[in-house]
Amino acid sequence: MVRFKNRYVLCEVVSEDPRCRQCIEDRALGLAVRDAIARVHGDYGLACCSISFTVKYLNAYTGTVLLRCRKDSYRLLCSALPFVRCLESRAQRYPCSLNTLHVGGTIRTCQKFLIQYNRTQLLRLLQNCTNEEERQCIQKSLLSCSLTEEQSLSGDEEEDDGTE
Amino acid sequence: NMLTVCFSVGYSAVALNHVIDFKEKKQEIIKPVSPSELFPSLPIVQGTSKRIKVLTRLTLVVSDPSHCNLLRSTSANIRLYDIIAVFPKTEKLFHIACTTLDVDLVCINVTEKLPFYFRRPPVNMAIDRGIYFELLYTPAIKDSTMRRYTISNAISLMQICKGKNIVISSAAERPLELRGPYDVANLGLLFGLSESEAKAAVSTNCRATMLHGETRKSACGVVYTVKKLRKVEEEETAVPACKKAKTQ
Repeated sequence: MVRFKNRYVLCEVVSEDPRCRQCIEDRALGLAVRDAIARVHGDYGLACCSISFTVKYLNAYTGTVLLRCRKDSYRLLCSALPFVRCLESRAQRYPCSLNTLHVGGTIRTCQKFLIQYNRTQLLRLLQNCTNEEERQCIQKSLLSCSLTEEQSLSGDEEEDDGTE
Repeated sequence: NMLTVCFSVGYSAVALNHVIDFKEKKQEIIKPVSPSELFPSLPIVQGTSKRIKVLTRLTLVVSDPSHCNLLRSTSANIRLYDIIAVFPKTEKLFHIACTTLDVDLVCINVTEKLPFYFRRPPVNMAIDRGIYFELLYTPAIKDSTMRRYTISNAISLMQICKGKNIVISSAAERPLELRGPYDVANLGLLFGLSESEAKAAVSTNCRATMLHGETRKSACGVVYTVKKLRKVEEEETAVPACKKAKTQ
């Protein structure tokens, strides 16, 4: 059976500026990643990676990004991700960096990993938070995050900015 | 601030570097800043329940053989550093560093074209002694020409040492120049390492360097005992007796 195999790369946008999180959008991020690939691997690399390249999922609150590319060229993509230096959108440049979390073959595996990762992040925040209400809020969301059919990817969105 | 970023990204041990350049007239080695002064309580590694280790590291930029005497001096301050690295600038110094100097890491220049070619004998001796070669990746992120020098120097090193004993580290000055361990292992692929070698360059080789530094600080000599050979002679005399027993 012949079908196209893809690789889904899960990354997290790390930046110092809190305004950067709000301006994360799929087109700006796609452009930044393509630009990094062009700088590192040249025209050949850019052409190989952009065959089936899209930004599949974006979460501006936590800075989580899911990219898709072909299985043959995912190494070119992964090795160029450390070279992303800044995001440009609406004529503003924000310095940032991408942190690769997981590479999976399907969206479902990446989603399972993301749920576990968010759970550990919430636990870490639980240790650091001082307010009792925030603590209860985090505990409630910890107990409620799970893989349900309808909620799909929106079940693990959390307002991390408020508790940081 | 930068250390908090390291911790959040998933590293379990960090070394703070102090560079000493011998071009200036007099350089004295100052005591390293102890990590407990910087951090009252170290945060916990992600995913485990152990605290993060913060080590101190000294890098000597040597361009003259007389600078190496500092390593042999009995200055007390040098003993306080956990890891010692040397940055040789000439071929002779590279040879001396690989064969006789008492260091843990040999830094490879990434910011300009290497003035000397690597040769196999000193590199193999360094691998036998347990010395690791270090590559930096932050200049590659910042500048395009440095990226070319980094990759060409790294690939020429790979061709000689076949990917063994490599440590990839960052010389980051700002928290945004730091990259996570998965990303750094992917950078190793660009330098010509295979995937398992690249992952080892970030994890097991670094751990081995830390242990090398600890043994350098603590151990002075090794006592090795060997069983004496007289036992073999006794067994030989015993065997004919058994043979006799069988035939009877």
